[in-house]
Formats: sequence, structure tokens, C-alpha cells
Amino acid sequence: MLCPLWLWAQDAPTLSVSTKKQVMVGERFQVVFEANAEGKNFQAPSFEGFTVVGGPFTSTSSSFQMVNGSMSHSVKCTYTFALQAYQEGTFHIGSASLTVKGNKISSSPFDIKVLPDDGSHAAPSGGGSTSGQGQSQQNTSDPKVSGQDLFIRVIPSKKSVYVGEQVVLTYKIYTKVPVSSLSVERMPSYAGFWTKDISDNSGSLRQNSEYINGIEYTTAEIQKIVAVPQRSGTFTIEPMIIECIAQIRTERNNSRSMDPFEAFFNDPFFNRNITNVKKELTSQTLNLEVKSLPENGRPASFMGAVGDYNFKSDIDKTELSTNEAFTLTLTVSGTGNVELLQMPEPVFPPDFEVYDPKITMNVSNNANGLSGTKKAEYLVIPRRAGSFTVPAIEFSYFNPSNASYRTLQSQPYEIKVEKGKGGDDGGGIYASNQEGIKYLGSDVRHIMTGNAHLKPVHSVFFGSAAYFVALVVLLLLFVILLFVMKNREQQKLDTAANRNRKADKVARGRLKSAAQFLKAKDQEKFYVEMSQALWGYIADKLGIERSKLSMDTVNETMKAKNVPDELTQQFVDTLNSCEFARFAPGSAEAKMDDLYQRGIDVISKAEKVL
Amino acid sequence: MKRYTLLIYLLAVAGLGMLRAQENSDVLFEKANAAYNVGNYDSAMILYEKILATDMESVPLYFNMGNTYYKMREYPMAIYYFEKALKLDPSNDDVQTNLAIANRAIVDKIEPVPQSFLVKGWHNARAMLSGDQWAWCSIACFALLLFAAFLFLRSRKVAVRKLGFFAGILFLLAFGLSVVFAVQLKQSSLTQDQAIIMAPTVTVKSSPNDASVDLFVLHEGTKVDILEANEGWNKIRIANGSVGWLSDDSMLPF
Repeated sequence: MLCPLWLWAQDAPTLSVSTKKQVMVGERFQVVFEANAEGKNFQAPSFEGFTVVGGPFTSTSSSFQMVNGSMSHSVKCTYTFALQAYQEGTFHIGSASLTVKGNKISSSPFDIKVLPDDGSHAAPSGGGSTSGQGQSQQNTSDPKVSGQDLFIRVIPSKKSVYVGEQVVLTYKIYTKVPVSSLSVERMPSYAGFWTKDISDNSGSLRQNSEYINGIEYTTAEIQKIVAVPQRSGTFTIEPMIIECIAQIRTERNNSRSMDPFEAFFNDPFFNRNITNVKKELTSQTLNLEVKSLPENGRPASFMGAVGDYNFKSDIDKTELSTNEAFTLTLTVSGTGNVELLQMPEPVFPPDFEVYDPKITMNVSNNANGLSGTKKAEYLVIPRRAGSFTVPAIEFSYFNPSNASYRTLQSQPYEIKVEKGKGGDDGGGIYASNQEGIKYLGSDVRHIMTGNAHLKPVHSVFFGSAAYFVALVVLLLLFVILLFVMKNREQQKLDTAANRNRKADKVARGRLKSAAQFLKAKDQEKFYVEMSQALWGYIADKLGIERSKLSMDTVNETMKAKNVPDELTQQFVDTLNSCEFARFAPGSAEAKMDDLYQRGIDVISKAEKVL
Repeated sequence: MKRYTLLIYLLAVAGLGMLRAQENSDVLFEKANAAYNVGNYDSAMILYEKILATDMESVPLYFNMGNTYYKMREYPMAIYYFEKALKLDPSNDDVQTNLAIANRAIVDKIEPVPQSFLVKGWHNARAMLSGDQWAWCSIACFALLLFAAFLFLRSRKVAVRKLGFFAGILFLLAFGLSVVFAVQLKQSSLTQDQAIIMAPTVTVKSSPNDASVDLFVLHEGTKVDILEANEGWNKIRIANGSVGWLSDDSMLPF
């Protein structure tokens, strides 16, 4: 306090630089410029060949010290840069400068050798020093806090998990020095995982103590993450980087004096000089193996649930009337990723109106991960009366602890729906009750069963011998039929019609021969011929068969054919006289003549009518 | 006499053998259908193939094979067999329905070129009956024609003769039409004038060599008309009227 200026004079302002001389490609490290005086206008060199990841972080600390009963004041200004090397080679870094009280001071330039990445450091961290198990890496730029004193670790609940099985990642800080503040610099991205932070966010970190290799550490859980892998494979979880400020009891900056008092006051017990040292801590890289779920034994109803669950279903009523609602509740509870759990879906009869289920979830976190209950409430309204069955609902899950699938089943429900009053339909009941057919699916029509109707390949009926045979047979049938018909016609012609046509001719022929007999006076033959002429004519003309020929049939047939009664009478008279004369011979010649004339006359008349 | 006995004996043996084969095929068909019914499509297909290997065919056989391939998700083969069934019986409703369903499962969707009313009517009329049915129809028309001719020739009543005359003309036309249909269907069933693309993706070329210009791409299951064949290449036309060349190995003609 006496003369601080004098002290200033003693300590010439310097700007020193401290950093690693050798780094790997991709490695992050720090370059710290340290001035022992406060200054301004700090000018950093250009860090050619490096990427400036952060900085300059400026920190100033000052300390008052008693030197031989007099106070001395020391100031420390640090300018910290976080750099990352991205290519191999040796890079020259120029000097930084700072203006202290008008004088410009500079640091000495230096070289940094960048070595090829040998893969030894998986994470961009600044440290070469690792803890005994290689789980922690940290800065060595500040020699006062070593990796053994302060590190973080990630502790997975298991290293090998199934897809969908939850793994709890606990990030813990281990320290032997007090830590004043913690801030997470970078979180891993957890690619391929569904994550949930289940850290106890009650405020302060809970402290514990743990022994590692016989050394006591104070530990605290920084973060607890439930990670649920979504696909199989080997996943690398990047380290978490946190920045913390460690409070370190500093030794004196320039320990030139070996004064016993000083030694006494330097005892940590008395030393109230606490330096806040900013440290970046990196957890180790974690490799997790994610196994895919076994294929064999996988139930059809499996929808990806992994864990240990209970399943039950509830229905509020099974007997109701149409347009009345009932609620079907499905509940899945247990340990596992309840949030992503896919609820089984019940199959309702098609005539039921089903609303989207109301899903409620109750998830709790504990040390083992997530557990909870998920409920799906289906509000269902049967629109038609009848007896329906809601089939049993299956819920399957994979239990990773015994690596097997398990299927739980609810009981089926019989639902009796009675016809409701249906007052809401009003007058148009019949119309409104109709609805179109609902198609539930489509598929190809079923195969044809029964007779295969096989026939040789490429056998075509058309143009085959059988085809032509069929045509020819038809044609032959036709011709034969025609021929037969023609024959029969001929026969008919020969009989009835022919007779009709030729009746006159035949009769005249007969009459002619009768005339000859008349001339010859052959009475008997004349009458025979006359009788045959008359009978033959009338039989032919009327189409009467000879066997049925009689006076009566002639009479009847002529009447039927509407022959005038006069003519009929005349014909019958003539016939009668002829018959009479035939069987009573001995009559006069004049009678024969008369009969002949009458015969010709009656036939001529008949010919005109018939 | 002895020779005749031998001949009769031989004929009897041959006939019995054919009958035996037929019976065997029917048993196979039933077995295959049973396998299909329980979802055992692979064995059903093996049995159907066995029937096909005896050089026998029928609409039910092709239809069931198409169904089996559909169930095995081999849609191009399913389409191939449905088309074959349809060639035997163009009027079969079941085959038409299933072919339409199978055609929905393939990649290419081609807008068919609109046909004129007459062509459409002609095709629809022809598709009403199968080739054999048209042949029978022509025989029936011929019989009716002869009957009408008979009426015309032999009836004594003028009205009946008139009826016979006009009916005769009608049946003559019907006979001619069914003969033409039968001829066309016979032609199409004996020549392989259509094909189904079997390769997953093929590029249709502008001329029958590999170096020619790529015209368009077709995918498996698409039906093409074969217009002409030339040394392993086929000039094809698709439903929208585009024409190009495809090599033999990428398609299955029927």
C-alpha cells in the first residue's frame, strides 16, 4: 500500500503465451496469452492454419499479497483462444500485442506442429491426459487442475440393448476441487435414438461421494437421459462437453520469496486466494450396440412395444340400445417407452360408429428409466340392433430381460344392442334407415372349382373335322327331309288331289266306254260302266275312300261341301236309277239312253260346282 | 377279323389311357384347388404346372393359376395367365374382374387410345362368346337357316313362306357373322400376337438393334401387341398406340 507504483516499476509488463506445441488434426486446444498487467487494445495474431472455435475469452484476476509486511498487488490478464487444427503441417503463429500504459508489449512468436490424426482422440478435446480408465479427457493448459481432479463420465445402464429397449445414460461429474458453476456446452445429438431428459431438475445438484481407485471424489449427476434406440446397429454417442469453473486455491504467482511467513500463509488453510479456472470437460465417447428384435417367435400383433407390460381392457356396458354410446378402455401399463407405445386397436363390427380414441398417458421417471400407463378410450355407438362380438384384443411386447415375446389378450365382449326408440329419425324412418353397402376390402375373385374342363392345347372346335361334320350332317338332314317331303307330296298328289283333278277325265273315259256298250246294246256292261263312272267320279271328286263309299256318305259329304241340294238330289237320283237298272235288267233301250244323258249332265254340272 | 380285333384292342387301350390321364388331371386340379384354399400357394402352383405339362388347358386352369400367382404377388405372371384365360373365353366375367385387379398392381398405367364406336362394338360383340361357342353358334345358325329355307320351300301358306324367307336371310347373316368371329378368335388363339413384359424394366427401342434410340420405358406386367417378329426382336405396340421394338427375352408372348 505504500508504493504500488514502485512495485509496478519492478515488474516490467510482459505478455507470455502458453499452448501445446504439438496437436492432432481435428483436435481442439487452447492458446492462452497472459499479461501481468492490465492493458488495452489486445491484438491477436492471425491463427493461420487453424480455426478459431472460441475466444478471445478475457479474464482478469488480481491478487494482493503481503510481502514483508507490505502489500503487493499483482494483476493477471488472460486472453484465451480455443483453436482447432484442420490440416497437417507446422504453422507459425505471430506475436500478439497489448498496449500497457502507452507501451506496446508483444508476445514471442511460436510454431505449432499439427500431426495427422491417429484416431486416439475421438472427440475434439484439448487434453492429452486421460484418467486411469481413459474415461475422461480434459485440458492441461492449466496445470493446476489435472484430469484426475475433475472429469465427467457417462455411465450407460447397459452397453448392449435391443431396438426399443430403453437405456439410461447418466452424466456424472467427478471432482476433488470445488466447482462453482456448470454449463453444458454441447449435447450429443443421439442420432438413431429417441431421448428424454429425466434429470432431477429440482434445482441444485445432489452431491455424493464415490471412491475411485481409493480416491474420494465428490460426484453429482449432471444429466440423466433415457435413450431408446430406433434402429439396430452400432451407434457412437458423441461426448458431452461441459464448461465448468473450478475454484482453485492459487499459489502465489511469483514464488521467488522463500520467506517462512509466506510459506505459512501459503498453507491452503489460510490461503484465501481462490482462482476461478474455466475448464472444458469432455465425457468419453460411448459405443452402444443395438440388437434388432428376433424374427422368430414374433407374434402378428407385435407393434414394437419393448419392455415389461400389463394389458387389460374394460367396457362400461355390454347391453344397450341403438344410438347409445359405450366406452371401451384399453390400458397398457409397465416399464418401457410408454410415450411411443402404439396401442393395440380393437376391431369393432362394421355397423358400429367408432370415434378416434382418447389417449391419456401417465409417465413417471425413475432410475431404471421410464414407466407408466397409457390408456386408449374408445367411444362407440352401435347404430343397428343385434348381437355383436368385439373380438379379443391382443397386445404383444418384447421383454428384453428374457429376450422373448409375450402376447397378452383381453377377453372378447358380447354386445347386445336392442332397438332404441329411434325418435330422432322422425317420420322418415324408412328412408333414413337405408344405407349403401359398405365395402370392407377387395380381392381377386376366388378360383374356379369343380370340373376343370380340360382339353388339349390349341384344340379349336371351329374348322375342326367335327365342325364340318356337324355342318354336313345338318345339310344332309335338310336334303333328306326335302326329298322325303317331296316324295310324300307326290304320293298325296297321286291320291287325293290327283284324283280330284283327274276325276272328270276318268269319268268321261268310263262314259265313253259306256256309250260303246250302249251302241252294242250290251245292257249289263253298260250299267256297270255307268255305275263305276258315277261312283268313281264322286269318290275322286269328294276325296272319299272307296271302302267308305255309300249313298249316305255321298249325301253327307256333298252337303258338307255346300253343294246345292238340287244337284245333290240329281246326282243321288241318277245313281239310284243306275243301280236300280243294273240289278233289274230287262228295261228298255230308251231308258239306257236317258240314263246316259243324265249321267253326262250331272257330271258336267258337278264339275262346275266342285 | 383278327386284324380288326387287334385294332379295336389298341384303340380301347389308347382311349382308356387318355381317360386315365384326364382323370389324373382332374384329381391334380382338385388337389391344387385344395392347396390354394388353405393358402399353400407354392404347392398349388406346382400342381397346376403339372396339369399344364400334360398339354391340357382350360379357362378354370388358367384362371386359378393367375389367382395363385396373384396371391404370390407375382403380378406379371398373374396377368399372363388371366390374359390366356381371357383368350379362351373373352366373355368370362370372373377373369375380366381379376385381370383388372391384377392390372392395378403393376407400374405402368397407360391411357388406351380411344377406339371408334364401330371397332369397340365389333370387339364387344366378338367378346360375348368364346371361339368354340361362336363355332357352336354358327352351327345353330346354320340349322335355323336350313329350317327357314325349308319353310320357304315347302310351306303352302304365303305368310309362312315370307317368314321363312326373311328368317332365312337373318340366319344367313348370323351364320356369316359367327363364322367370322370364330375365324378371328381361332386366329388369335393359334398365333401369339400379344405378350406380357416380364423384365422389371425394359427400354423400347426405335429399331431392332441395341444401338438404336431409346423410345420409352416399360415395366413388368404391361401387355403389348406383337405386330411382327424379326430375329429375336418384336415390333410391339402398347395400348396408347406407341410402337417400338423389344427383344424376345424381356417378354412372354401368348
